[in-house]
This record gives sequence, structure tokens and C-alpha cells, in this order.
Amino acid sequence: MADEQKPSAPQAAAPKPAPPPGPPAPPPPKNPGMVTLTIDGKEAVVKPGTLVIEAARQVGVDVPHYCYHKRLTVAANCRMCLVEMSNSPGGKLQPACQATVAEGVAVKTETPKVKDQQRAVLEFLLLNHPVDCPICDQAGECKLQDYYMSYDQQASRLDMPKLVKSKRLPLGPTVTLDNERCILCTRCVRFMREVAKAPQLGVARRGSRSYITTFPGQPLDSKYSGNVVDICPVGALTSTDFRFQGRVWFLSSARSICTGCSRGCNVHLDYMRDSTYRLRPRECEAVNQEWMCDQGRTTFKPWNTDRVLQARVGRGEAKAARRAEAVAQAAARLQESAAKGQLAALFSPGCSLEDLLAACAVAKGLGLTEVYVGGRPDGWQDEFLKRADENPNRRGLELAAAAAGLAVRSIAELAKAIADGKAKALWAVGSKVPSPTAAAVFARLETFVCQASSQDDVARAATVLLPQAPVPETDGTFVNFAGRAQRFERAYPPRGESRPGWALCAELGQALGQATAWTSAREVFQALGRGLALGDFTWDLPPASRARALSPAPAGTVDGRLPGYRESADKVAADIRAKVTG
Amino acid sequence: MPYKVIEDSPADFRERLFLPEVIRGVGIIAKQFWRNFFLQRDPNPDILLRKTPTVTIQYPEEKQPYPPGYRGLHRLVPREDGKPRCVACYMCATVCPAQCIYIEADEVEGDPIEKYPKRFVIDELRCVVCGFCVEACPKDAIRMDTGEHAPPTYTREGQLLDEKALLRGAPVSYQYDPWLRRGATAVDPKKLEEMRQRAKPFPAGATDELSQTPGFSVRQLAAEAKGRGA
Repeated sequence: MADEQKPSAPQAAAPKPAPPPGPPAPPPPKNPGMVTLTIDGKEAVVKPGTLVIEAARQVGVDVPHYCYHKRLTVAANCRMCLVEMSNSPGGKLQPACQATVAEGVAVKTETPKVKDQQRAVLEFLLLNHPVDCPICDQAGECKLQDYYMSYDQQASRLDMPKLVKSKRLPLGPTVTLDNERCILCTRCVRFMREVAKAPQLGVARRGSRSYITTFPGQPLDSKYSGNVVDICPVGALTSTDFRFQGRVWFLSSARSICTGCSRGCNVHLDYMRDSTYRLRPRECEAVNQEWMCDQGRTTFKPWNTDRVLQARVGRGEAKAARRAEAVAQAAARLQESAAKGQLAALFSPGCSLEDLLAACAVAKGLGLTEVYVGGRPDGWQDEFLKRADENPNRRGLELAAAAAGLAVRSIAELAKAIADGKAKALWAVGSKVPSPTAAAVFARLETFVCQASSQDDVARAATVLLPQAPVPETDGTFVNFAGRAQRFERAYPPRGESRPGWALCAELGQALGQATAWTSAREVFQALGRGLALGDFTWDLPPASRARALSPAPAGTVDGRLPGYRESADKVAADIRAKVTG
Repeated sequence: MPYKVIEDSPADFRERLFLPEVIRGVGIIAKQFWRNFFLQRDPNPDILLRKTPTVTIQYPEEKQPYPPGYRGLHRLVPREDGKPRCVACYMCATVCPAQCIYIEADEVEGDPIEKYPKRFVIDELRCVVCGFCVEACPKDAIRMDTGEHAPPTYTREGQLLDEKALLRGAPVSYQYDPWLRRGATAVDPKKLEEMRQRAKPFPAGATDELSQTPGFSVRQLAAEAKGRGA
């Protein structure tokens, strides 16, 4: 069943020397080199070998489907996409996901025969479905719900008990399976075999007793297993991490970039109020197609918990300070040590391009000639998506430093400079460092100004700590390992006293008497980033689609607030954060 | 003209004399006064069943019951084992036009409903008593059948009713409830059997959930409906 490969393109009609007697030769194609057909009366001109379902999509006809996925092989087992085609033998309905286009064919998707078939298929698929939408996380983005409302709308006629299968079965660390909700479209099986190259899922038993399962003793532990949750059209495969955290229709979505590695996978950042709930891959043919790794899916956790929300001056039992006061303190100390030539700057490649452009400009104004590169240590790597460099913006840091005329040095050289006594003061933008011992070294510096978003060891070592907002709370750009610049958009305003990195650098620069009065990330890029070699990158994102279909509304179109209980909003928000953090 | 004007009939001679009508009015009042003064009040607490003609109700010691269908204070309907029927599906919170319902879901072990409300808070001050939450609930887990209005409190916080305050009233079970149909390891088997015995039968209209119960028959339902002449 799932072994079938995508049908190869039919050979272009070669002129035969002597046409045999019989049916008359087909008329010449209307558009040479292409196939012309009509779909619901609309003329479609497509390449030979195109599937009917794709041709229909091109002319704006939506054919319902479950098992078909454009990046997987064709299985044609759900039978939801059956349409009438004028060239089918005996007038039988054809699966639009498997049939290829042919010259002059008329495809009809709205006839009573097709409608009857769609209703019958849905009744069959829903025959043993438990209809437990109230406890199903897929509710709201479920194809069974959508298609039932569009094509079925009839009560079940089942006159006997429904089949009982296993529910809430943990398949692996990230995925929970409910076999009763499964329609056996085998998208997950095909994904694991063809895309993840880890055939860990299969269909066991036969007929109505078939079910999706892993092999005995082998959990679904591929590094890409989270994608089966996204491609499952029903609620059979759900994310264990997101399980019961919230209803999807309360979530809003922002276009963002994964910060897990230097690949820079495009993601949907789903948020409510000021918490991120999940990351889903966003389609981008050049980078991640529509997949992402499980590690990337967990990178939002530090944005919700253990945040630096207030500025602090002094180490140990120092008390929180107002941000303006802390910035003034930081500027004074930086200026003092820069004048003595004892200042070093440590920039993290986890910060956005705008943060780093602003930071490099301020560093230049302080008279520095080199910057040290921090960031997370290298991790695992594979040949699909994940890169060893777990920092999203190393190329961006190199570009920004080069544009400001600053030399880039490794963190080992910083340790040496501190040991030699050349650097006695440090200014860090971003608190991630590759070596675990760095925090102890920084804790002995007389001046350590740190812009951090998470309460980690490096942030605790700071003498002046400035609260920096993480990715969902600011606009920005990441430049991935291949030099491709990609924008991410702000989902919600910065929490507490925190401000984006570029804003903190602008405040520092102003306190130092520099002309750094930027008011937005866009202004920073326009002022400093225009000369960067970013290809045909344009900073402004196209306006988000307002369509509320299967994915939540784009950022800013709904208020994204939690229903009810707003008097105690802070208390509630704290609870939600604790839950999402897990 | 959209309405009909009824003119007062002109006063006759006796009414124009004025005094006889005054005496008649004083007589009506005196009759009620002496009757309430001397005749025994019926102490029946169910004031609708009182026999005596005394009409005064000693509010707030006595209260006239609200009519059936009155949308009173919410309650979370309990199961017979004391847990809420609610599965935290957020339907009520979604439909609520006043956004007065706050829910936090959590996972429950040993029960086929999988999900329960760890927190369920209704802000009665914000509530507009529209009853949409009751209509939206797929599990008959929230009702407004308490026959009470929201009790007055001295603080606003007192009007925030949480899951402990809301979970009260008569328990309800239906034969198609998942914990009865599929069993629940978290519930004592004896208690579960008792709940099965006391569960309500199918309502007249067939729902999809009914078809999951052994013994259910569409044909039988149709035959019954035919017998009723429906």
C-alpha cells in the first residue's frame, strides 16, 4: 500500500512513424509541452505528470484529502479525494491524489456523485471514531472536524458498539498516540520512513483492527519524531509536551525563526498573552521545507521561566535597580575601563542581527577594536537539518563586526586576556558562553556588565545586569549558516522591565553620549545594516495572511488574552508560565 | 395606532359622592389587617403549599422559590464518586460572552476522560447570566439549576467561585458516560457498578455518544418515537 512510489511523468507523446489503425490519434496539445485540462470548468495548464489534486490547487479548487501530503509518497488510501474524471474507465471516481493529469480531461469535484462519495467516506472514517473532541488536543485544527462540517453533517448510523483500541499510549518521549482517533492514513509511517529515514512506525494487524504502532521494545525516539504530530490530520498523534496546555483557538501565531541551531528553521511561534506555548515548523522550501527537529521544539522553554525581569547593580545580595539607573551605572563603568584600555566585549551569536549591529556600533564608539564571541557550545549534527553550531546568528555576528570594523576573537582568547590581566572589565551582550567555567572567571572581574534574558551562572556573575528580551518579544533578523538572512516578528511585548538587546545598547550608547537614539529594530537595521552582504534580503515581512483556517490567527489580529479571571491576571499568568515550562 | 386606548368609564353618582368609596377601601384594608392579625399563619416552609390566605412572605427567612428554568448560580455537576463531570474542554470559556470562566486543565490517571479541570473559576460579578455555558457544555457538567442568585459578599474576591465552591448539588450519571462504559481503574469497582445501576437512561434524541454504549439501537429508538407519534 505505502510502497507505491510517486508515478513518474508520462513520456511526451513521441511521433510514431506509422500510426496503427484503430482509434483516431489524439488531437495535438493545446499548449505544447504542457497539459491542459479543465477542473470544475476552470482551465488549468500544468506540467505533464502533475497530480490532479495539485493541478486543482493551482486553479483554486480545494480537494479534501487526509493521506495525501505533497512531501510524501502517494498512498491513496483515505479515498477522500475521489473526483470525477472524463477519462476514467466506466465513469468510476478517481483519487485526485494519485491520478495524473491528461490532455483535455474534464475533472469535476462538485457533482452529486462526488458529494455522495465524500459523505460516505467520512461516515466510514468516523464509524469507530470516539468523538472525544472535548479531551482531544487536535480539536480546532482537526481535518475530521473541518471536513465533517463541510462534507458530511449527518448522524452516525452505527448500530453496534464501537471498536475499542488503546488510548493515550506514549510512543516515545515526544509523542502520545490515541489509536481510536486514528484513520490509518499512514502519513506518520511514510514520514518516518521517507523523510526522517528512521522507520520506527508501522501498521499492525488487518482491517478494522489495524493500528499504528512502534516495533516491540523500540520507542519512537527519532530526533524528528515531533513532525508526525504536525502531519497527523486527526488527533491520533499529539504532542506530549503541549498535551492539555491550552486550546489552540486561544493561541495566536507569529512568524519566527528557531533558535536551536544555525540552520534557522522557519517556525510558527504560538503564544497566548505573554507566554509561548509551542513552536511548529513553517513552510520554507529553501531551509527546512516544513520540518524541524525535536530539540528545536523545546527551545521556547527559557523564554517562559527563570527570566531576568529587572536590572540589578552589584553582586551578591544586591537589590534590583531601576533600568535607567543601571544603564547609567553601566555606562560610567564601561567608559572608565575603556579609557584605561581594560575593556573587552563579549557578544553572543544567539542575539539578533539588530542587537549585534547596535552593540558593535556602541563598542566602536567605546574605542574597542575587537569583540569576543560567546554563544552555546556545539551539539550534535546530522545530514538532515540539525547543525552542530547551536547558535542561530554566528554569521550575523561576523557580518556586524566586520561592518563596524571590529576583529572577531574566540572565547579562549578572552580567557587568556583576563588571565594576563589585559581585560579587567567585560561587557556581555547575551549570557550564553560555551565553557562552563567562564562564569567563575567572570565572577572575579571588577566590572562585568551583562545583558541577559535568563537567570544563569553568567547573569549571576554580573556587577550590572540588564534585562534583555528574548526572541518572541522583539523584531529581528537571524543570518543562518549559509548566509541567508531571515526575519522573525514580535509576538508579544517584553515582560517586566526587559527590553530588546538593541534598545539596551541604544540606552547605553546614549548614556555614553553617542548618537544611538533608535526606537525600533527596523531603524537599527536601516541605520547600520544597509551595507551588509545579505543578498536580496528585505527587512519588512509581507503582511500576514488574515485567513483563520487550520492555523491560528497571525500576531496582533486577536488579543490573545486568557478568558476570564482578569482581576487576578498576574497570579493566573504566573500559574500558566509554570505549567508551560514543565 | 399600534395600541388600543381604553378610556376610563365616567364615574357614577355614588363614586362622585366619594365617601362610600373611601369607606369601602378602608374596609378592604381592615379585613386584611384583622385576618393577618388574628388568624394563624401556616408555618409550612414550602410557601407554595400554604393553606391560609396570609400572603406576606417573611423575607429573608422565607423565600419564594424561583420558577423552573430560572438561571441561577452556576454549579459544577458532580459524578456519583464526587469528581466533577467536567473534562476541561473549554467550551464554556470559549462561548462565554463576558469571558468570566477561567479553566486550567490537567491530566488524570485511571479514568478514560483523561483530562479534568485543575482550576475552574467563575467570576460571578462578570457573569451576565446568559446560560450559554450550560448550552455549550457537551458533558452536562455545568448547570444553572441551583435556584439561587449570586450571594452578596463584602469583597469582589468573594464572587470568584472556584472548583470547590462550584462542585455541589445532586450527582448525575448517564449510561453513555465513558467512566461507566469503559470502566475507570481510579474508581472502586463496587462503586462503579452502583453508579452504573443509578445512571440515567438514554435521552429521547440519539447522540453519537449513545451509539458507543452496548445495547444501543437506532431502530429501537425510531420504533419508540413512532409509538409516541413523533
